[in-house]
Amino acid sequence: MAAGINWQPIILGTIMRSKNKKTSIEPRASYWLLYILPALIIYFIFMAYPLIDSLRLSFYAGTSSSNRVFVGFDNFKKLFFDESLSTRYRGAFSHTIIFFLINMVFQNFVGILFAVILTNRTMQKKTLYQTIIFIPTTFAVLVTGYLWKLLLNPVWSSDALTKIGLSFLSRPWLGDKSSALIVISLISCWQWMGIPVMMFVAALKNINQDLLEVAAMEGATEWQTFIKIKVPLIKPVIGMITILTFVNNFNAFDIVFATETVNGAPGYSTDLLGTFFYRIGIAGQHPIGIPDPGVGACVATITFIVLLLGVVPTLKATRGDN
Amino acid sequence: MKKKFLVLLAVCSLLIPSLVAQGAKENTQKVQLTMGSWRADDVQQMNNLLDAYSKIAPNVEIEFKPTNPSDYNTTLRLQLESGTAPDLLYARSYKTGEDLFNSGYFADCSDIEGMKNFTDANKAPWMSSDGKMFAVPFAAVSHAVYYNRDLFKQAGVEVPTTWEDFLSACQKLQNAGITPLANGLADEWDILETFFLGALPNYVGGTNERMMYEKGEKHFTDDAFVKAFTAMKDVAKYCPKGFESVTYNDSQVLFATGKTAMFIDGSWTVGTYGDATFDWGIFAIPAPEGNKTAITFHPDMAITMNAGTEHPEEAKAFLSWLCTVEGAQTASKYLPAGFFPMINAPITIDLPQANEFLALNTGKETDARFVWPVLLDLYAPMNQAVMSVMKMEITPKQAAQAVQDAYDKLDLN
Repeated sequence: MAAGINWQPIILGTIMRSKNKKTSIEPRASYWLLYILPALIIYFIFMAYPLIDSLRLSFYAGTSSSNRVFVGFDNFKKLFFDESLSTRYRGAFSHTIIFFLINMVFQNFVGILFAVILTNRTMQKKTLYQTIIFIPTTFAVLVTGYLWKLLLNPVWSSDALTKIGLSFLSRPWLGDKSSALIVISLISCWQWMGIPVMMFVAALKNINQDLLEVAAMEGATEWQTFIKIKVPLIKPVIGMITILTFVNNFNAFDIVFATETVNGAPGYSTDLLGTFFYRIGIAGQHPIGIPDPGVGACVATITFIVLLLGVVPTLKATRGDN
Repeated sequence: MKKKFLVLLAVCSLLIPSLVAQGAKENTQKVQLTMGSWRADDVQQMNNLLDAYSKIAPNVEIEFKPTNPSDYNTTLRLQLESGTAPDLLYARSYKTGEDLFNSGYFADCSDIEGMKNFTDANKAPWMSSDGKMFAVPFAAVSHAVYYNRDLFKQAGVEVPTTWEDFLSACQKLQNAGITPLANGLADEWDILETFFLGALPNYVGGTNERMMYEKGEKHFTDDAFVKAFTAMKDVAKYCPKGFESVTYNDSQVLFATGKTAMFIDGSWTVGTYGDATFDWGIFAIPAPEGNKTAITFHPDMAITMNAGTEHPEEAKAFLSWLCTVEGAQTASKYLPAGFFPMINAPITIDLPQANEFLALNTGKETDARFVWPVLLDLYAPMNQAVMSVMKMEITPKQAAQAVQDAYDKLDLN
C-alpha cells in the first residue's frame, strides 16, 4: 500500500522532467517561499517532527508518555547484545537484504526486458500487455497476499494443479522455511512489476530517434545499440528504481503481514525489519502484548540511517551525464 | 407574521421534549459506570448482559467500552496512569493483571462475599502473591477434539479413549480416504495453544507438577515432555497435505465443510459450527495409556474495579452479583458460546456441544495453559519447538532440550 503512494510523485517527476522546458520567468526567493509554506508546515508537523521525535524516543525507556526515563544508549545495547532480541534483529536484517536484492534484480532486469519488448517497433497490442503488467499494482497488498496465500496452499490448489498435470507444484511454499522468503519476494516483485516497466518504457520512448538512426546507419547491432546507447541513457531511471525499491523494501511489512504472520512464520524465516519493528515497538509479541517503544524506535532509527547511507551513493552513481 | 409564528411553534415543539427529558433524568439520578474490555467481538452479548443487570439494579447504567485486543494492555495502563480509566475493567490473569494491582490501580476484591463460590484453582490466576483477590473470575475457555460423527461412522471409528486409540483411529480414517485432522501450522499460535498445551496435562500432570517445572525441580528433558513432543511428531502425518501452510481459518473451513474428521481447537469456536450439515461432537484430547486424561481449562477473563472509581459501591455491587449463582447463570446465558463461567455450581448452557465441553471437566484434573502462570517467556521457544518437531526438522528430544535451554536462560527472580 505504502509503495503505491510513494511511487506517484516520482513517476510524475520523470514525466515532467522529460519535457525539460526552461521556464521564462525567474521568480524571486520571497515568492516561492510563500508558495511552499503550507506544504512545508504540513511536512514539518506530519513528517519531520515525528521523525525527530522517534529519534529522541530511542534514548528513552518506558511504555507510556508518563513513565518515560532517559536511558542513553541502553536500548541500542539491548537490541544488539540481548541475545533473544539480537538474534531476531540480525535475522530480520539479513532477510530484508535478501528480500531487497531479489526485488531489485527483478525490478531492473525484468523491467528493462519487458520495456524493450514493449517499445519494439514490431510489437503488437502494446497497451494490452502494458495493462496486464500494470494491473497487479493497482490491487491492495492485502488482496494479492491473500490470493497468493490461497494459490500456494496445497489444501486449496492441489486438486486443480493435479488436473493440469502439475501436481509437483503442490507444495506448502509458504510453510517451508527454505522457500517462504523467496516466494514472498517474488510475490512482491510480481505485484510492483508494472511501475518499473512503465518508467523504463517512458525513458526508452524518450531516447532521441536520431541517435538510434545514426547507430543503425553506422551498422551497430541491436545488442550494441542497447548496451551502448539505451542503457546509458536510462541509467537515471535504473537509479531511481533501485532507490525506490531500497526504501520501500526496508520498510516492507504488509506483504509478510498478508501472506504469513507478524512473527514472520514459518520459524521467523520471513521476519523483516518491518515486522520485527511492529512486534517490538507497536503491538508487543503475542501473547504478552506489551510493546517496548524505546527499542522499537532504535530499530526505526537504524533503518533510517541505513536508508540515508544507501540512497545518497546510489543517486550519485546513477546520475545521468547528459 | 404567520410565517414567524410557525417558526416559533416549530422551535417550541423541538424544545419541549428535551426539557421534559431533562426533568425525567434529574428525577432518577442514574449512576453511570463504564466497563473496559479487550473483547471487542462481544459488544452485543455484553450489552444484553448489562441490560439484564439493569433490571436488577435499575439505578445503575453500565456502558461497555471495549478496545482492540492487542491494544488493551497499553491503553489500559495509559488510562489508569492519567486517571481516565473505566470504573469496571477486564483483568488479565496472572502476572499482567497482578502488576496493575500492585501498582494500586485495581481494587482489592477479597472481601466480596460470593468469592467463596469459586474453587482455589479458579481463583489462583487473579490472586496476588500475598493471597489477595484482585478480580472476580468471569470466564474460562477449554480445549478438546471436535469430531464429525458422520465421518467416524463411515470409517467405522469409535471415539478413542487413549492416545494410542486416537492414533489408530487416525490411521483408520486415513485408510478410508478421509483426512483425519484439520490442524495446521501457518498461524503458529493455534497449534501450541489448542493442541500442544491442550494435550500437555495428559503427559506432565496438573497444577502441582506444573509448579515443579516452574521451580526447576523437574526438567523439560524428562520422559513426560519428550513423550508429549513425540505425540506431536506422530500426529503430523494425519494433518492435511501441506499442513505447514494451513492457517487457523483454513482449519476451521476444512472441518466445517466436512473435509476432515477432527479438529483440535478451543471452546471459543463451539458456536461457529452451529449450521454444519453433519452431526458433530466433542471429546477430550485422550491421554496415553497409563496416564489420566486431564483438561486444559484456561482462566481467561476476570472483571475488577478501578481503585479510583467515583462509584465504588455500585461497582462492587455489580461484581458481587457476578459472584452469585444467578449472576453466573445470567452471564453464561449471554456470554458467547464456549466461554464458561468459573463458579463452583452447576450451570446450564443452551448449546448442547458447549455443555459437552463443560462436562469434560467432571472427574478430571484441570489446569491453566502450562506456560501462562509463570513461564510465559517460554511461549515462543515452545511454539517453535512444536512446529519443528511436526516438520521433522528436529527430534522430540532436541525439542525438549530447546525448551530446557530457553528455561535456563530465564531470569525468574
